[in-house]
Amino acid sequence: MSFAEAAEWFAFVILAVISVAGALGMATTMSMFRSGIFLMASFIGVAGLFVLLSADLLGLLQVMMYIGGMLVMILFMVLFSHDPGGSMMADMDMSLIERFFSLGLSSSPDKEGMDMERHGHDGMDMGGQGGHDPMDMGGQGGMDMSMTTPVKRWAAALSVTLGGGLVALLLLRPAWPTTDTTPNPESARMIGELLMSKYMMAFEGAGLLILIGIFGAVLVARPGAYPDRDARDAYVTRDLPPAPIDEDPPPSADAHVPPEALEEVTVSGAHRDEAGGPPPQNETGQAASESLDRDS
Amino acid sequence: MAVPLTAYLIVGALLFGLGVYAVIAQRSAVMILMGIEVLLNAIGLNMIAFWRFVNPGDYSAQIFTILIITIGAVEMGIGLAIMMLLYRNRGTVQVDQYDSLKG
Repeated sequence: MSFAEAAEWFAFVILAVISVAGALGMATTMSMFRSGIFLMASFIGVAGLFVLLSADLLGLLQVMMYIGGMLVMILFMVLFSHDPGGSMMADMDMSLIERFFSLGLSSSPDKEGMDMERHGHDGMDMGGQGGHDPMDMGGQGGMDMSMTTPVKRWAAALSVTLGGGLVALLLLRPAWPTTDTTPNPESARMIGELLMSKYMMAFEGAGLLILIGIFGAVLVARPGAYPDRDARDAYVTRDLPPAPIDEDPPPSADAHVPPEALEEVTVSGAHRDEAGGPPPQNETGQAASESLDRDS
Repeated sequence: MAVPLTAYLIVGALLFGLGVYAVIAQRSAVMILMGIEVLLNAIGLNMIAFWRFVNPGDYSAQIFTILIITIGAVEMGIGLAIMMLLYRNRGTVQVDQYDSLKG
């Protein structure tokens, strides 16, 4: 085996392990943010495999599109939904793999076991809990660990059967008629010429598809698409500018604060005494906006 | 000997199985979209491996892979927009809580 072949095998093994282990970590870790990072590792591994297959342009496109575009969207969505901890499958058969990829996420195994046991009882009122309980968000280590899913061994069994079946078919099949010819090193130029001549319509169609996709995404996600009047009012109220911060002490500062926010001021004032937070003038405006947020 | 075609195809099959697992087992819509991305990656890897080892003179396979990436990007954008709307309306992205159509 020559040196070049040994180097090729070395690069192939490393990139394959990166891509497969990244996908495995994405599918099994308990933290949704962390699975986004694992997905990035998998994309980088596949991009490296593309380069190893002498498809340089596609490796570059893979990094730019998937990591630069889609992964940013995914991580934005994870953070937008206030659920970076995720609600992964803490109760599954593959718990060893999950523990490995979720190292450091669970503060103590006792707490996790307790949460699971508790959730076995009240599994029916998941809808009320919704995963956005402030209590859940406050927890440091076992964040959202209480939202264990029902056991999905059948999903693991199905996918292991599928993957194993595909690998077995590949190993059993006699070899494909491969050729030894190496591709043209100027593959990007060839691809560009093909895109502009033979696959012109596909190229234009992809452009049209992207345009329509942009329109659809903007149309769907535009602000104000709310189902009923209450939700819309809540949205409009939430977007009001916050109450101005007065330099002068009350009572003139309290004149513009609505009565329901005053309760919040007292409550959060008590909190502040415990926590030793910012001075009270700032607290008024923040509490008012907080109570409005909670109403929405 | 150089890396054979079957090795790349096995990597693609493993990625496909993991993507199927993520799509089936996860409850969050974001995670399901991530699984779909892994599935598209596996398909692209298979296609490029076949291009490299079977017919490296014809670059159509790379163009199909570029189209797959494009469609994946559009799908991700629209899926995330729909998810954003659902999240603002329902306050969750767990797909098994969108069960209002269930009888």
